[in-house]
Amino acid sequence: MSGHGGSKKTRATRAIQAAALIVTFGVLYGVTRVTPELETHLGTVAAVGFLLLAGTLMSELLETIGLPHLSGYLLAGIIGGPHILHLVDHHTVTELSPVNTLALSLIALAGGAELRIETVRSVARSLAWATLIQSTFVLLCMAGVFLAISSYLPFTQGMNSKALIGVALLWGVLAVSRSPSACMGILSQTRAKGPVATFSLAFIMLSDVVVVILLATMLMLARPLITASGGISLEDFSVLGHELLGSIAVGVTLGLGLAVYLRLVGRQLLLVLLAIGFGLSDTFAYIHVDSLLAFLAAGFVVTNLSDQGPKLLHSIEQTGSVVFVVFFATAGAHLDIPLLQRLWPVAVALCASRAFFTVVAGRISGRLAEDPAILKRWGWSSLVSQAGLALGLSVVIAKAFPSFGEGFRSLAIAAVALNEMIGPILFKFALDRAGETDRNEPEIRPSLPPAPAAE
Amino acid sequence: MNAIAFLLGLLVLAYLGSILVGGRAIRGFGLASGAEYLVLGFVLGPQVLSVVNRQLVDSFQPVLLVGVSWLGLVLGVSYLRVGQRPVPLSRVALGIAMSALVSAFVSTVVFFGASYFSPLPQAEVIALAGTAGIVCSETTRHSVRWVVERYGAKGPLADLAADTARASALFAALGFAVVNAWLSGAALENFSVLQRVLVSLGLGVVLGFTAALLLGREFRRDESWGILLGTSLLGTGAAARLNLSPISTTFAMGLTLAIVSPHRLDIKAMVTPTEKPVLLPVLLLAGACVNVKLPVPLLVLVAAALVAKLMTRIVCGALLSVTLKPVNGVGLEFAGSMLSSGALGLAVALALSVRHPGVVADTVLLLASLGVLLGEWLGPGALRRALARAGEIKPEVPPEGAEPSLPSEA
Repeated sequence: MSGHGGSKKTRATRAIQAAALIVTFGVLYGVTRVTPELETHLGTVAAVGFLLLAGTLMSELLETIGLPHLSGYLLAGIIGGPHILHLVDHHTVTELSPVNTLALSLIALAGGAELRIETVRSVARSLAWATLIQSTFVLLCMAGVFLAISSYLPFTQGMNSKALIGVALLWGVLAVSRSPSACMGILSQTRAKGPVATFSLAFIMLSDVVVVILLATMLMLARPLITASGGISLEDFSVLGHELLGSIAVGVTLGLGLAVYLRLVGRQLLLVLLAIGFGLSDTFAYIHVDSLLAFLAAGFVVTNLSDQGPKLLHSIEQTGSVVFVVFFATAGAHLDIPLLQRLWPVAVALCASRAFFTVVAGRISGRLAEDPAILKRWGWSSLVSQAGLALGLSVVIAKAFPSFGEGFRSLAIAAVALNEMIGPILFKFALDRAGETDRNEPEIRPSLPPAPAAE
Repeated sequence: MNAIAFLLGLLVLAYLGSILVGGRAIRGFGLASGAEYLVLGFVLGPQVLSVVNRQLVDSFQPVLLVGVSWLGLVLGVSYLRVGQRPVPLSRVALGIAMSALVSAFVSTVVFFGASYFSPLPQAEVIALAGTAGIVCSETTRHSVRWVVERYGAKGPLADLAADTARASALFAALGFAVVNAWLSGAALENFSVLQRVLVSLGLGVVLGFTAALLLGREFRRDESWGILLGTSLLGTGAAARLNLSPISTTFAMGLTLAIVSPHRLDIKAMVTPTEKPVLLPVLLLAGACVNVKLPVPLLVLVAAALVAKLMTRIVCGALLSVTLKPVNGVGLEFAGSMLSSGALGLAVALALSVRHPGVVADTVLLLASLGVLLGEWLGPGALRRALARAGEIKPEVPPEGAEPSLPSEA
């Protein structure tokens, strides 16, 4: 994500960008029409190039109407994806999962590195109230909304009221999950600084841990309600406890290692980040460690236990400028547009009510925490976005309850699709209105020092 | 070995490569062409230890394809300049002519040899001859730079060696576009060979123009990486899907950027440090792909091709010694220095191996690999002797403050 706010590019530049976007679409469109039969890996290479270039250009063009870059990346993916122009097919989207793994690890690492203890301390009261209210109030309200519209959902037909309550609680958990990637994406683009940005970052990173705990709790509570033979088992909490503590321990170790490397060597950070993103994510999955939490802890340690945080953040920003574009554009290509077309009335109702209750919860927690006015007004704005985490939760729920899992997951995909599109726009709008975005032009690269003439 | 462990191994190699680019700490480390990584790949590969099997290497085909294509882009971007000094057009023409001569002679030897002594059908004989000529035509600029910088050489012969080595890349890039177009499979089946060549190069030119326009008047590093990576990956993937030569496409793209972009020096400075980190994993993978268990006639052909390359270089050296003043009296040594081959020849052989696997590709890859080893054995020493005899360096005494062994030029 290129980090520049309201850049003042000329009309000629915009025209060139529009023409280049047409060329980009045109090249891949022509190639896919000539060779509709894909050799999978070749499709992947072209798709990465397309998503990167089209995402970058689309984001630049949408910037002129005030939309965040992230929306441009998503839109490029949606248009080029399997449901519209079919320049990037389903298989390719699946093949790009390593990019997602890398991006998520970088996002978590950056998220942790952005959290300075003193900053967290300054918003600790707000965080505590917001976490409590957003997690309980929104969860219960959304469970209620789900119950109210359950008669319109095909996969809840024939369920008794106890089972419906169980499914509704699970939907409530899904509703309180946020999107760390969208939050980091917008903050990275806008370079926002201020109470809304600080609170949003801290809250969303913390909410990742809260949601994992909530999911385990609700799975435990919902199981006896949904399946007649099921009972409450504390085993889930034991496993969860091990996973959380293990993740933090591994993350702290990684963070200390990174800090030492940054201090003693401090070079080739791109390759180190690639190795960490690809290699460690798989290792973490193998040893049942939550990689998001572990990377978050690692970033937190680097920033707060050493003076290497800025160096780490700078490197992630450089790497992420390419990786994040592909990540979000792939997410756009992954959006199931036909499903959204089919389920849009219910999805819209669920998304609208979620946004409404999030705003209400934000106002309540803001009042209880005695937040500054700006935070009371816009503190909720980053909490609308949903993306990979919510989809991941829906997969877990679908696996845990195969009887209705697929329908539940489809509805989650449709709802997340809407939140994924609308959330970043709202957050950027709020940051702009709160006056926290950086509207300065990015630095133009200085002239090169003279290179050696001989070879 | 699983894919993740292998990937981490490649990243470690890339890490090493990136240190070699910038580090003064390990001055004098490594060979000029990076042949040791080729040998390492061969030893780890299925022919010796089987730590890396062919299936694993095949699973890295996209990475290989992207790697060799990126090398093509770097070669294209840096084609017209040595450091910041432009390469004179006469030197470009000379480099291309010498490459064409070597390629023609090697191809002829391989063609007749394969026609009479190998079991290959005619079409494969032509493909083998064409590609063998191409992989033998290159002189790697790394070897020249290695000697020049290590011994602090300066003078007309050093410049000539650097210029002709750089210029030799064009023939290989264009030649492979032709061979690949001739080999093309199902895609673009209604197109003639010429049209396919034009499509592969045209794609690169269009994307090069697009990138140059987007990089525009203001050069922002964060945007520039996205644009360069995006256009090169799009070009690589599109060319590969059309069964054309991705290296030629990215080379054309790089050359277009070098010609039309006002930021050509910035772009060159951005991409050249990435060459070594990409090259070393590619060399390792190339080594792992080498198959020495070929029919004896093909092994004999490989040897014949190397002899043909050596002979043609000697003829070139002799011709240059009587026609060009800087080469006067050092023709044989200069001929030896032009034997060094590396990145492009191996990239072409690897690309063929990835896109058209089989006995022809195996033979070409073996030829390219042995060419690298032969060039490593003879090339740097010959150039050093030539430069010493020409009075451009003091013989056998590396000067104080010499540059690292494998630097990447800005």
